[in-house]
Amino acid sequence: MKKMIICMAALVFMACEKDNYDGPNAALSGSFIDAETKALVEQDIIRGTTIEIAEHGYDPVEKQILIVKNDGTYANSLLFANTYTVQPVRGNFIDVAPQDVQISGNTTLDFTVVPYIRIKEASIVKNGTTVVATFKLQQNVTTHVKKIGLYAHQDSRVGEPMRFVAAESEINAVVDPNHVYTLSIDLPSNSSQLKPGKSYYFRVGAVIDNGDAKFNYAPVVQLDI
Amino acid sequence: MRRFILLVAGLALFSCNRVLELKPTDKIRAEDLFGDPAGVKLYMANLYYQLPIEDFTYFRAGFNQNGGDPNNGGFAPAMVTDEAVHSEFGDFIGNNDFAWWEPAYKLIRDVNILSDAIPSLSITEDEKKALTGESAFIKAFAYFGLAKRYGGVPLIKSTQKYEGDVESLKVPRSTEKETWDYVMEQCDLAIASLGEGTGRRATKWTACALKSRAALHAASVAKFGPRATMSGDAVTQQLIGLDASAANSYYDASIKASEMLMASGKFGLYEPDPASPEVAAENYRKMFQDPNTAAIEAIFIKGFTLPGNNQGHNYDIWYQPAQVANGWPHPGRMNPTLDLVDLYERYDNPGQPAPVVTTAEGNVNDYNGYNPALNYIRFDTPNDIFKGKDARLWGTAILPGTSFKETPIIIQAGFVKPDGQAVIRTNDQVTVNGATYYTYGAPSTTMYSGFDTYGGNNTRSGFSFKKFMNQASPITAGWNQSTSDFMEFRFAEILLNYAEAVVESGQGDAAAAAKALNDIRKRAGHTVNIPLTAANVQRERRVELAFENKRYWDLIRRREYHTEFNNRMMHALLPLLDLRALPARKYIFVRANVPNANSKTFEPKLYYKPIPGIGANGLVQNPQY
Repeated sequence: MKKMIICMAALVFMACEKDNYDGPNAALSGSFIDAETKALVEQDIIRGTTIEIAEHGYDPVEKQILIVKNDGTYANSLLFANTYTVQPVRGNFIDVAPQDVQISGNTTLDFTVVPYIRIKEASIVKNGTTVVATFKLQQNVTTHVKKIGLYAHQDSRVGEPMRFVAAESEINAVVDPNHVYTLSIDLPSNSSQLKPGKSYYFRVGAVIDNGDAKFNYAPVVQLDI
Repeated sequence: MRRFILLVAGLALFSCNRVLELKPTDKIRAEDLFGDPAGVKLYMANLYYQLPIEDFTYFRAGFNQNGGDPNNGGFAPAMVTDEAVHSEFGDFIGNNDFAWWEPAYKLIRDVNILSDAIPSLSITEDEKKALTGESAFIKAFAYFGLAKRYGGVPLIKSTQKYEGDVESLKVPRSTEKETWDYVMEQCDLAIASLGEGTGRRATKWTACALKSRAALHAASVAKFGPRATMSGDAVTQQLIGLDASAANSYYDASIKASEMLMASGKFGLYEPDPASPEVAAENYRKMFQDPNTAAIEAIFIKGFTLPGNNQGHNYDIWYQPAQVANGWPHPGRMNPTLDLVDLYERYDNPGQPAPVVTTAEGNVNDYNGYNPALNYIRFDTPNDIFKGKDARLWGTAILPGTSFKETPIIIQAGFVKPDGQAVIRTNDQVTVNGATYYTYGAPSTTMYSGFDTYGGNNTRSGFSFKKFMNQASPITAGWNQSTSDFMEFRFAEILLNYAEAVVESGQGDAAAAAKALNDIRKRAGHTVNIPLTAANVQRERRVELAFENKRYWDLIRRREYHTEFNNRMMHALLPLLDLRALPARKYIFVRANVPNANSKTFEPKLYYKPIPGIGANGLVQNPQY
């Protein structure tokens, strides 16, 4: 009996040391910044740009996926301090190479990128019973612009994947940077989704025809309708 | 001590004999089991039970969901497609819904044990050939189930033996192309080895049917893959995706397999020439209530013989309308959508979908609900609005006011008061000229089947479910009591596979494909032939095979899921009693979004499911998991 107690005590004491690793106390955060305009690159949370990070020292290792907020910033504050290979993937900008990053404490990592499409001079206004968006497109790769759209939702994270109502137009062509595009949503015919007297968020976006490229957007606009 | 010596002596004396040749008493040797026809039958029953047949027990959690506690709310695969909504749940597809990984490799191991043993069995060559064919059919079926979910997978072609080294058991993923080609190869082996009989075990014909379906799936992935481009390690290593150049050879394989069935003389359409659309609707319904009455059409039936856990199924208790629940507390879960109902043609406008027109203005894209400014068309009964639509609509869905089990099924969403004020989906009543009218068409919850949220027992789409429902006997209020059989392969699907493969690839006999398409429509009461086009084939496929768990895979293989389901609201048809017409009893209908529902969006990564356990098995994961 005494032997057993000693044995158990030994186990209890030993166990503490073995398990005493640090918790996930490191953080990685940063922004996606347009190389030319220095503005944040707007994103989607759902089906948007993601950042894959692979922790070193494990093989095989399951990649962790960070999502990016609508305004183009991201943060994950529950990572284990270690070296990671970091790469933004399936984004709305020209591919970025993977890089090894030592993550500890609050590590900041910004990505300077060239968005596939810049949405210029965007304006969204309510005109009578119609919401009208006008904008120009500047594309930074040679493939076709696939589609443009005006999206409406009650949440500010509005976008192509998250909308009550959309006005879309298929382009499938290389665009002229001086052409003014116009999209509009008729409010009465969407009255069950966009209820009069309430406030909704609107955003215009465009997507390039390039694999699983994501939408580029102009900043969100709030309108009372 | 003396005893010990005796013992040793005893051991020594006996051990010379046959101690090393003792047969284990807890195991059956392969030659004993498979050498005996009864043993083979027993083993086969277990293999067939494990086949990934998407029948009445197939739900989000996988196959054979009819054990002791099968309560999954009756959330059927049709409810993640545009065929139906659940009366309560608004769920869509989760990463691990409809997964099939570990059970797949268990089946593959079990069938490999059999096929490895065949050469050593002391049975006739004919018997060996039949066993070879049957195990090839099962392997093809299993790898088809894997390939359509995961893309390229590890191909375990014979039994693995553990000899102390785990690493040697790890097999990397083959490419998606190699996986499909292995399915084709096993189908061909089965077709060449199996007999031409019919029955519930694999035959040459079931193997042809499997090949027709599997090859069409592979061909579609190759042709339509560019509709949903993916990226990642699995793509660069070709573990998922097929090159567009592979499409035509798979379409050709599907065409050839279908042609073998069409030329066999063994199969045809059940009741191919109905006297009227009414007869056609009843024929169609009967074929699914009991497929054994349609032996000419059934190529492969999975039987449910006995009620009870792991034996019966739950389609009748979940899906029959509330009025016939017979004491069962959770009926009415399958609600066919207006989106599906719209698709059925009208006999007077062949070859076109016929959306239900509710107003003189005729806008069928207005889902904003009741609008007093519109001129709603008044009908004498709650189902006159569907008169002239395809018989299969009447055989698939219970329409408002139609009879089921000799009970008129009442589906009503409300009424318009004589003063023009509408009461919709609010429990209310109004008395006009001494008569009382109720929102849901009757005073108590046992007397109607629509729109009241009570218990989640009433349809919220305006339609209840008829196909597969057993009208011959009352509901038994308990789990796993239904024993209607399921047709896994039927001749109409083969004709549709054929028509699709021909029209998508431009290969094969276009005239025969057009005939196949129109034969099916003729069986549904149509008299005018329509041309063979991709759109006509897809519409025909959706209405003919509705609720047979094909639509999910059609959306997957044709890469239409992410465009069909992008913030998509499903739609309902609200029948209202129009009291403005009193004393005449008139109904109007409102097209609307399904009440209390959210929009649904398909994530393109779900075209391939996540492979479980990659930390241990070392496999390359599919993108974005």
